[in-house]
Amino acid sequence: MEMHQIRYFLAVSDTLNLTKAAERCNVAQPSLTRAIKALEMELGGELLRRERALSHLTELGRRVLPMLRQCYQTALTAKEVAESIRHGDAAPLSVAISRTVALKLFVPALRELSQTIRGLQLKLWRGSGSEVAEYLKSGMAELAIAGPLGESWSRLDDFLLFKEPVDLVVNRNHRLAGRNGAEFKDLASETLLIDIECEMGQELRACLEANGIRNAAAHQVATREDLLELLNANLGVAIAPVGVAETSGLRRVPLNRLNLVRRVSAHTVAGRHRSIACATLLNMLRVADWGFDAEAEQQTRVYR
Amino acid sequence: MTDPKLSDRLEESFVRCRDLEIPLADRLQAFENELRSLGPHFQAAVDALVSRLSASDAGTTAPKVGEPMPAFLLPDERGQLVRLEDLLSEGPVALAFNRGHWCPYCRINIDALARAQEEIAAERRHIAAIVPDRQRFAMWLKSDAKAPFPVLTDMDNGYAMTLGLAIYVGDELKRMMVSSGWDPSVSQGTDNWLLPIPATFVVGTDGIVHARFVDPDYRTRMAIEDMLVALRSAN
Repeated sequence: MEMHQIRYFLAVSDTLNLTKAAERCNVAQPSLTRAIKALEMELGGELLRRERALSHLTELGRRVLPMLRQCYQTALTAKEVAESIRHGDAAPLSVAISRTVALKLFVPALRELSQTIRGLQLKLWRGSGSEVAEYLKSGMAELAIAGPLGESWSRLDDFLLFKEPVDLVVNRNHRLAGRNGAEFKDLASETLLIDIECEMGQELRACLEANGIRNAAAHQVATREDLLELLNANLGVAIAPVGVAETSGLRRVPLNRLNLVRRVSAHTVAGRHRSIACATLLNMLRVADWGFDAEAEQQTRVYR
Repeated sequence: MTDPKLSDRLEESFVRCRDLEIPLADRLQAFENELRSLGPHFQAAVDALVSRLSASDAGTTAPKVGEPMPAFLLPDERGQLVRLEDLLSEGPVALAFNRGHWCPYCRINIDALARAQEEIAAERRHIAAIVPDRQRFAMWLKSDAKAPFPVLTDMDNGYAMTLGLAIYVGDELKRMMVSSGWDPSVSQGTDNWLLPIPATFVVGTDGIVHARFVDPDYRTRMAIEDMLVALRSAN
């Protein structure tokens, strides 16, 4: 596919009129028609039904339109990034990160980014899921990293980065620490540590109730740091993303019948222009190997 | 029990073809013959795609000999960002677009490139592979072939697209690929079903294309000898 063919097709899909599309693309109509014909030949079917005044997209045309629109934008951005990276101009980048996501995971990417984009000036925001969504909507942040934002706003893009298993996390001195596994009934006598900011909160509550844990004694915290402090002090047990258990002194105990996975995604606002720094970081995050992506593991196993 | 997927049934033949001590083109042909006998329907769909791509001149506008190779910024298999000019500061480079770690032809190609890199290691001549696969899979491809060169990720085929090298697989072949065990959507991290035409560009330190090989038939690749001659004569 050629960039100009896609550009012409996108113009036709916007205007549904070949003459207007040709004007918009600043090209003679026969050239536009020829380019779209070539694209149709490559895609193996008609994209348009041509009528005198109004053209319509065919079923194939409608189906490939979102893909072509996205790819066209990606390609333009890739080109812009590669061409402008050398200048060393000031490059502000504002990122909102959910309080439940450890910044540590993203430090390698940020380090690499700052070495490549000399003028990088970071601004990091922290917030709950809904605050993170607000940062994005208002334009205070260009990129967000968070769990599901629970937003119905259709302009939020969601690029899944990784799925992190959720499991029981306890202090190493806890009575369950040495076990190979635990059951929900083991939790009945425990104090639960609940991160009220966690995007998984609702799902977790539902899961606990479904497994007979109601009105359990609980301590509530609102930050990941506080959750860790209380776990370190052995003041309770937590059902948390397994990354939490990587802190020394804590143990992950597989909780039978707990089937929770926390999705962590990069979010941007669809259609908004991405700065060089934002586009590059988003790309790096999407490409990165996060180590715990069950789906990806399955895929590599097939070809081993 | 469901039948083993075509890709699984072919794994043994694949290894045999990959390890043959014959020119790359013959190894690729040997594998194609195996595939043709085990999966004739699959090959027919591939033939149809290839003739459609050829008829629509796919890939012909990619940078030609004497033209500048457009700049890129792509992460390598360790997540480090690599620019074309970084590669060229080390000497002329052969950029080899490949379809992904799941593609047997690409694995044979990367294997051949890895063997070739050994020959030119001391000559300030280099190779870099470009795939739309994410880091984990780029790393896998590199280890699979013990390739001493970087495997760069072209996410969403963005760079390939600007060169006119991105193609849409199409519904029929897409269905067949999934059921045969060749599904690029997981390793690409997107279900756009775009693949690059596997092209090779030999670029001189001045950034100008010294030689190129572009064939919409992904079963054929630039001959290693041609690539080495071009790399050695480039400055």
